[in-house]
Amino acid sequence: MKVHWDLHALAPLVAVTVTIVVVLIADFFFEYRERFKTYQLAAFGTLAALIPIITLARDGGTRSLFGGAFVVDTYTLAFQGFFLIVAYVTLLISVDHIGEGDYYQGEFYVLVLTSTLGMMIMAGARDLITIFVALEMISIPTFVLAGWRKHDTRSNEAAVKYFIIGVLSSAVMLYGISMVYGLSGSTSLSGIAEYAGSAGTPALLSIAIFLTIVGFAFKISAVPFHFWAPDTYDGAPIPVTAFLSVASKAGGFVALLNVIFFGFYASHTSWQPIIWVLAALSMTVGNLVAIRQTSIVRMLAYSSIAQGGFMLVPFAVAGVGSSKHASFEAVIVYILIYGAMNLGMFACVIAAMRRTQSDEISSFGGMSKYSPILAVMTSAFLFSLAGIPPLAGWFAKFVMFRSVLDAGTTPAVILGVIAALNSVIAFFYYAGVARAIWFRETPEGIDLRPLKTPFALNAAIAITGSFVLIVGIYPQVIARLGELAGAAL
Amino acid sequence: MTQFYRNYLAVAVFAVAALGMVGAMLGVGRLVRPNRPQPEKYIAYEAGSDPIRGFGQSNVRYYVYALLFVMFDVEAVFIFPWAINLEALGVSALISMIVFILVLTLGLVYAWRKGVLRWA
Repeated sequence: MKVHWDLHALAPLVAVTVTIVVVLIADFFFEYRERFKTYQLAAFGTLAALIPIITLARDGGTRSLFGGAFVVDTYTLAFQGFFLIVAYVTLLISVDHIGEGDYYQGEFYVLVLTSTLGMMIMAGARDLITIFVALEMISIPTFVLAGWRKHDTRSNEAAVKYFIIGVLSSAVMLYGISMVYGLSGSTSLSGIAEYAGSAGTPALLSIAIFLTIVGFAFKISAVPFHFWAPDTYDGAPIPVTAFLSVASKAGGFVALLNVIFFGFYASHTSWQPIIWVLAALSMTVGNLVAIRQTSIVRMLAYSSIAQGGFMLVPFAVAGVGSSKHASFEAVIVYILIYGAMNLGMFACVIAAMRRTQSDEISSFGGMSKYSPILAVMTSAFLFSLAGIPPLAGWFAKFVMFRSVLDAGTTPAVILGVIAALNSVIAFFYYAGVARAIWFRETPEGIDLRPLKTPFALNAAIAITGSFVLIVGIYPQVIARLGELAGAAL
Repeated sequence: MTQFYRNYLAVAVFAVAALGMVGAMLGVGRLVRPNRPQPEKYIAYEAGSDPIRGFGQSNVRYYVYALLFVMFDVEAVFIFPWAINLEALGVSALISMIVFILVLTLGLVYAWRKGVLRWA
């Protein structure tokens, strides 16, 4: 048996792996003051890994590797590109935070890139074992990142909570996966799809699917498996929180997309109701609790739970044959847009906190006086998250509602109404922050001289901001990307 | 819809059985075992020696050595099946194994450079 290597298909993964190794070795040789160079190496490697993704996309076609366990197609490439750009923006928003905080720099970038590598593997994984390994590869570096501030007890608490929940969810998921394997005799998603199509839905398969999805629900912090998220997001350094709430969450969603659409699809009577409940609860609980938050980071934590609920909506209606493709595309488009606007929001929070030194929403009062541009950008991201046109968020909500209407069944319509109500609730707390920025008085003791933000942070806000604006005005761009990626189904 | 209820009936039965199992085991234990509380029984068991309060009993440095040991222990799990099939797998498998071992060694080099291996 010869092992066949399609090196072109693996090139993005190889590029990131080489970057990780180079950054780790380079970190040994730099003097303390030169440590920021590890950031330059990491950023360069991340961007270089985008080149093979472009050449692969030009080549087109589907490349199947390792006996079908890893597949490179348009869907895989779209998400690999997305994860690389998210990693690059994460590096941009963390470089000054980590550098000034006197934290270990080289290791930080190595861990961010390792987690990104896991996500890129996840995008192509079409086998339960590959999916599990990729998921662990995403999670384990983030456990360490969450506890990055070693001497801060809140950071330690964040890491411990995240670690214990992460291990518990892996155990539950593995239990489910083992049953799936026991029933279908295959770990490959195509083999499972074949089994699910022919066997109907035996009771044990329902239990197996239930446990597997509960495992994923922990990872994507869907209510009622969300309780770790606010504490972890709050305690971790803010760039890490941004990475967790965007990249790590998107990784979980990609895993769920793979498992549901490529594997379990035929057993939709089993998975559809669970996801329906998760979606309805996540949206409602996430939004209602977010209203009461006074800290912007905790508010964004609950808002990301609620946004996760919106992303689950298309899953919950995907079982109706006619809406299969529309739902698949809707989730892809929603993840891409959510990633840009949430990262941008966190970049703005990090920039503003350089002045306020506090994450209380009240301390953001009067931001427009010392940094009008930052105030405009923060409001733009807030309204995009709320789904107001002409900012990208509206298109994400639009495709989500379209998939619901495509399905048109009674449960789908009820879920659509819940989602619509929640969009209105969400507007309140997003607009509340915007109101503080523009109309509230600046709190005592805040310097009113113009705020200078570092170049990297400005670049991150510019990248995400222009994406949010361009997609909001010309949603065809992202719709076309979603269509191309959806063609892989 | 009946199909739907039948699917979830199985999940419910499964959950009840899981809870019942734990309850039964703990419950039977409670009924059967004698109950003679003595203060010594509530002390943490530490291989016969009296525990000194709090943490700090074992040196945290052992942890690093255990971790490094596990790293190379797991490596062996991958090397044995590879070594047995080496001839059939060919050169590409040899290259991948070399890359694998080099990446693992990097972990050891990292620990060494960061002074973790110094017992001071």
